[in-house]
Amino acid sequence: MNEKKSWLGRALSARGVQSVVTAALGFVLLFIIFCILSPQFRSGNNIQNLFRQIAPTMIIGIGQGFVLITGNIDLSIGSVVGMACMTAGTLMSNGANPWLACLVALAMSLAIGLVNGVLVAKVGLPSFIATLGTMTLARGLAQLVNNNHNTNFIGNTAQGFRDTLYYDSFLGIYSTVWIAIILWVILWFLLSKTRTGRHIYAVGSNLDAAKLSGVNAFHTILITYMVSAFCSCLCGLVLLASAGMGTMDAGTTYEMYAVAACVIGGISTLGGTGILAGVIPGAGIWGILQNGLQFVGAPVALRNIIIGIIVIAAVMLDVVARTGRKKPKAKTK
Amino acid sequence: MTAKQEISEKGIGIMEEYIVEMEHINKSFAGVKVLKDVKFNLKSGEVMALLGENGAGKSTLMKILSGVYTRDSGSLRIFGKEQGDLDTKKARALGVAIIHQELNMCRHLTVAENIFLGREEKKGATLNNKDMAEKTKEVLDSLKIDLDPNEIVGNLSVSKQQMVEIAKALSIHAKVLVMDEPTSALTAKEINELFRIINQLKEEGCGIVYISHRLEELSHVADRVTVLRDGEFVMNGEFKDYTMDQLISFMVGREITEKFPRVKCPKGKKIFEVKNLNAGKLVRNINLELYEGEIVGIAGLMGAGRTETTRAIFGIDPKDSGQILVDGKEVKINKPMDAIKAGIVLAPEDRKKDGLCTKLSVRDNLALPNLDLLCNKIGKVNRKKEKELVDKAVQELNIKLASPELNAESLSGGNQQKVVVGKWLARNSRVVIFDEPTRGVDVGAKVEIYNLMNELKKQGVGVLFVSSELPEVMGISDRIIVMCDGRITGELSPEEATEDRILQYATQFEAKI
Ligand SMILES: Nc1ncnc2c1ncn2[C@@H]1O[C@H](COP(=O)(O)OP(=O)(O)OP(=O)(O)O)[C@@H](O)[C@H]1O
Ligand SMILES: [Mg+2]
Repeated sequence: MNEKKSWLGRALSARGVQSVVTAALGFVLLFIIFCILSPQFRSGNNIQNLFRQIAPTMIIGIGQGFVLITGNIDLSIGSVVGMACMTAGTLMSNGANPWLACLVALAMSLAIGLVNGVLVAKVGLPSFIATLGTMTLARGLAQLVNNNHNTNFIGNTAQGFRDTLYYDSFLGIYSTVWIAIILWVILWFLLSKTRTGRHIYAVGSNLDAAKLSGVNAFHTILITYMVSAFCSCLCGLVLLASAGMGTMDAGTTYEMYAVAACVIGGISTLGGTGILAGVIPGAGIWGILQNGLQFVGAPVALRNIIIGIIVIAAVMLDVVARTGRKKPKAKTK
Repeated sequence: MTAKQEISEKGIGIMEEYIVEMEHINKSFAGVKVLKDVKFNLKSGEVMALLGENGAGKSTLMKILSGVYTRDSGSLRIFGKEQGDLDTKKARALGVAIIHQELNMCRHLTVAENIFLGREEKKGATLNNKDMAEKTKEVLDSLKIDLDPNEIVGNLSVSKQQMVEIAKALSIHAKVLVMDEPTSALTAKEINELFRIINQLKEEGCGIVYISHRLEELSHVADRVTVLRDGEFVMNGEFKDYTMDQLISFMVGREITEKFPRVKCPKGKKIFEVKNLNAGKLVRNINLELYEGEIVGIAGLMGAGRTETTRAIFGIDPKDSGQILVDGKEVKINKPMDAIKAGIVLAPEDRKKDGLCTKLSVRDNLALPNLDLLCNKIGKVNRKKEKELVDKAVQELNIKLASPELNAESLSGGNQQKVVVGKWLARNSRVVIFDEPTRGVDVGAKVEIYNLMNELKKQGVGVLFVSSELPEVMGISDRIIVMCDGRITGELSPEEATEDRILQYATQFEAKI
């Protein structure tokens, strides 16, 4: 039963490509629908904005994707976003060098990533529990850094930072989007071209087999949490640049946006499957719904309900499509 | 100091030929001693059969050799060099490879990715996928396995996956190769291929440790044997110096007089009937009947549709058409619960995947399908009844365990199998279907499972069992059904059955039009 597949067939059946294609088609479809329904949506200005809105979700989606592929989850993402935002914001509003402030925020974020990795891969806590703990912890730090207050406006002291991360544009594309693209390319390379990337898939697919083959599972899982923390920090800085001030509840529930972006894009929460390309349409669908529904005049409550339903439907469609076509159990007798 | 050195040098002089020497090896898990002062040695260019009952410690000993576990005490010498604690990477670097008893594949990765897992080849910073795929192809070709290195492993049949596992071990050009029950999931053709490779490796000077419960295989490959019993070394020696019965008595510590005990029962009334059952490509127009007091064996090659038939009967896979009758009354079976209610139970083939909740305790596993009998009206489990049920199963099947509170995964393979079977003992079933009940089970335990089947038969239960081991099908069944390509191609009484005739039916493939 070893039929040779065509090149295209192979490409489509490779890890998760199908789901990415489905999600991309979904994105295009939504895009067309909203374009038809709303003239404001299809204005050039909004299209630019739309992609800038999608970028932060994509950034954290990439981080969550790394963690999900190992079969774990990172619930601390939203809080690390908030913590990075508040830390850098506090320093900047007090006149510190903005880039130094970013480095401090990054160091703190990576420390959370380190704790996550150690708790999950060394201590052996279930990732859901471990990162639930650090989620609360990081949120506490976000509140602590400026004494339980949001920060002052940073536009006077760090406008250059705001421009670089949010307002500048190049080739008609905002810098935030460029940041997401560059991040994606680097991490895509790490995940799909390097040994570390291979080990990430192996650990998620079968932890025992990976260990028995000499894979250092601790390092591998630790790296994914560090990547996730890095992405969260970047997202927090983008939020800071965009809002012009640090808010203590910045990034709340973003970990779930990140999961949604991944799952819509075909990265299974069970580990071992999915490709980083999926995060792009995944975050895209998430962002376009937020943006588009607003323009067709749906009230917030209705928007949330619709988005919830569409996320479930998208994932269900994917599951049905995959299991429906599955050959009868490979194990035969 | 010098005296010691002298001795060890002399030692090397004499023992030169041993490439692996393990002495006084001790190992405990959670305070339970599973290896006690065990010794083991291996020469280059030989096949050492490692024998013992389930739970004797064979896999544990070999895992110590290959760096999966570390020993508590004792010495380990590989190529004459004393080794401290190994890990899998170090062992591999020394040339020790192991094919584990349980499949250890990353289902989502490709064949090549699995084979090179943990020692990927790189070109600069990136993986050299092309090179690895080519090398994989070479190994697969040398094994005569027709597989695409880029195929996802999860899409392969169990036997193909097992061959990939073997290819993985071979690809590191090991000088010490441990095979822990490599054949339990292979087809006859693949087994022959494996034996050919083993002989080839022997000629190249590779030392091979061969663990198997299929004792009839040993005569094809074994040069020497080591026997363990209950974690202790019993004997080693030249294979040809001993008879199989002697080896068996070393393993189990007593004589086994009847390898296939048979009880005579009068054939009673018809209790079970399958009419024109169709379910997918591998279950086509199946008709079979089962009478009180008989055991019916289903033989056939891998891929003949036997497991699929049992799954369709039991309501796991959907049926396309067909009827199932219990005691002459038609029963509708759409899901396993329907089958259980109708008095049909199934002990499935893949114990790790379908048969057990490996993370639950043995007690929980045994109680699981019987909770309706154990619970009171509000659903509280009656602990006393549960304990009785568990104790009875453990006793009747002679399941070796420290405590029924331990996870099912901590049991040895054969004892896990007994738990799968034991789950159904408490139910007064009409029909019991066993799918490969003795896979990975030691000689003594096999007899216990046969006795269990005989016991059911005496109680008037219909027993249907699928097996790939012809001697047992012929030894235990009152009637043998042979399948090929999803159809029943023949039926034989034990008197008429010979291996040749069964194989003849089992290879009656439809002419391709
Ligand atoms: N990881 C573990 N934790 C606890 N107990 C274990 C573990 N691995 C093995 N054991 C116990 O050690 C004993 C020896 O097990 P082992 O797997 O070596 O047996 P075996 O000889 O390979 O048996 P089989 O023929 O069934 O494979 C068994 O009693 C088993 O329950
Ligand atoms: Mg074993």
